[in-house]
Amino acid sequence: MQLKFHWRLLQGGERGPQTRVTGALLQSTGLPDLDSQIDFCWQAERLGINGVLTDFGASKPDSIVLATALGLATSKIEFIIAYRSGIIAPTGFVQQLNTLSALINGRLSLNIVAGHSPQEQAYYGDWLSREERYARTTEFLEICLALWKKHGPVTYRGRYYQVESARLNTPFVANHRSFPEIFVAGGSAEAQELAIRCGTLWMQMGDTPENLGANVQSVLDAGKEAGLRMALIARPTHEEAVQAARDLIDDLDPSLRERQREQQFVQASDSVSIKAIYKSAAELEWPKPYLWRGAVNTHGPATVCLVGSPQELAEAFMEYKKIGISQFILSGWPKLDEMIFFGEHVLPLVRRKEQEMALAEQTVQAS
Amino acid sequence: MSYRESQTNGKRLRFHWSLSSAGEKFRGAQARAAQSGIPDLSAHLEFCRTAEDCDIESLLMAVGFHRADPLVLAAALGVQTARIKFMVACRSGLMSPTSFVQQVNTISVLTHGRICLNIVGGHTPEEQRYYGDFLNHDERYARTDEFLSICCSFWSGVPEVNFHGKYFQIEKARLNTPFLHGAGPEIYVGGASSQAVDLAVKHASCFWTLPAGPDELFPRIRSVLDAGIEVGLLVSLIARPTREEAISAAREMLKALGNAPRKVHKEFAQRSDSTAFGSTLALAERKPEWLTNCLWSGAVPYLGAPSIALVGSFAEVAESLWEYKQAGITQFLFMGWPDIEEMKLFSRHVLPLVRVRETRTRVQEAACS
Repeated sequence: MQLKFHWRLLQGGERGPQTRVTGALLQSTGLPDLDSQIDFCWQAERLGINGVLTDFGASKPDSIVLATALGLATSKIEFIIAYRSGIIAPTGFVQQLNTLSALINGRLSLNIVAGHSPQEQAYYGDWLSREERYARTTEFLEICLALWKKHGPVTYRGRYYQVESARLNTPFVANHRSFPEIFVAGGSAEAQELAIRCGTLWMQMGDTPENLGANVQSVLDAGKEAGLRMALIARPTHEEAVQAARDLIDDLDPSLRERQREQQFVQASDSVSIKAIYKSAAELEWPKPYLWRGAVNTHGPATVCLVGSPQELAEAFMEYKKIGISQFILSGWPKLDEMIFFGEHVLPLVRRKEQEMALAEQTVQAS
Repeated sequence: MSYRESQTNGKRLRFHWSLSSAGEKFRGAQARAAQSGIPDLSAHLEFCRTAEDCDIESLLMAVGFHRADPLVLAAALGVQTARIKFMVACRSGLMSPTSFVQQVNTISVLTHGRICLNIVGGHTPEEQRYYGDFLNHDERYARTDEFLSICCSFWSGVPEVNFHGKYFQIEKARLNTPFLHGAGPEIYVGGASSQAVDLAVKHASCFWTLPAGPDELFPRIRSVLDAGIEVGLLVSLIARPTREEAISAAREMLKALGNAPRKVHKEFAQRSDSTAFGSTLALAERKPEWLTNCLWSGAVPYLGAPSIALVGSFAEVAESLWEYKQAGITQFLFMGWPDIEEMKLFSRHVLPLVRVRETRTRVQEAACS
């Protein structure tokens, strides 16, 4: 199977490099920017990118509604819709996704997170602790899966949700599936367990293949996929890529105090993996020649970054493939430029190496 | 001039249409479980564009387990149309009010504000339980009151929303996606119970009611108008060049439906705890099928409560609308069989009569004052 590459959708008003904390404060981040975002999706389709991630959060437009608008303007790209439990009844959620699937021929999958900020959860009326949010997300996904997979009415009596004889007349409409792919995102043991139980793929933040290997293997052994959220800085040469990484930090406007604000965000978060990545980034900036954590403390936890020439990065992707990673959600600064460079210069090398690897395997089997 | 006349005169009547049966003529005659929930996008778009051409202001997107989700569908249709508004039906208890506002606001940005809301209490306990909602009729209204209070707080533009109620607790909530344009969507509330009226008076700009005979309807309208909001009428239409043709169209329709739908609606009414649906069905069974010269309840046992119809010649139907206007009704939400043809007839032959009369009245009033 070929590696699948997805990209984070351009935010409203996002033009140049932008940190997470600053983006969240801009009014334009809350406004869908259809012209730019549709163009972004068309570029992604042209480049052979599989999907785009529509974020969930109080600073952004609703991810399902935005995916609906973009889905009607595109034909191939898939939408990875980020959502959390505790926001909508599972039956209503399935109804919204099924409706969308019927409108865009099933081009959607889910990125489910348990939530990382108690403050933001309270915006939505959710007061549960992190542990309870995981327990509730498990119930939420179990009801969703029952509605998708079971023929006939669904009854479920859980601690957080009770539904009785539930049914929907709008099915999930897609060519090859009766329910969407479900990425469960989060680096903790709870997230991994949830992914194995209810997901199709465990999505975590980037790390070295050595550090990831054992945990990834246990997900693969359970018959599920593993994926990574990462950032990318690819340039014609290694030196140019490293310089671009340094410039990303050096060019920050000190008056925006992004390092301090990111620190406050991490302190207020109750996510295990966000705190762990933040700590590890401070300890070791370059855990691999191609892996850079230098943007984490200013740009956010999803920015563990692959840095290098197209050849180096293609090799790095193959290393991840060898430990069993099958899908990536990538980002860059600026997102569109980095995606175009990736699609034109890195992706063809990855595909060539995948072919070589497949041929080598066939030769081994034949001999 | 009476209080009521001063409220309504001078305002043009506003006309909306139900999108519920786009692409399916007699959807309402089937049991809900048998209706398709897969939206036919091209049929819906044709419906929307016809409505735009016919000067219909907005289209009602109904809600229910047997339908596509109205918010997602409104977003899809909204980005492919230019003028028509979407009146999205909504029940509380399915979604966090914060998330609901986020979805509505996102649609407003995508459609330049072409979304309004029709808040309903939910009509069937059985169906509410599909969504994990086990509250009874009165509690559902209490929760919807809290839900709308939170929504309206977001739309009022306060810097952060705090709410500590029985059903929802929200703290320091802020959303970054505003409602475009103005201070939130127009809010309609439908229903017939006293809780529905109270809810409408507190949160809505217009209360939808089902038709009845004048003796029953006019006092009902008056009490809502006196509370300071508009009243709209949810009614079906069969308008033809002559009264004979209209009546014959109505009879033909019943013949085409056969007898099976009667059973469907009787069964549905037994499971429903909606005051409006129950009383309309009872009315249709109890009274003669002509409630006034033009108001016909003959289709109700076949097509459900919203199918009380104005039946008559173009001039008679226009005259009826005018009478309702005199009684204080300012907005109408229509259905027809089939909708598109009825909408075209209304737009070509009934609407101009109404508009001419409105203009003439305005001119006369200006001359008198």
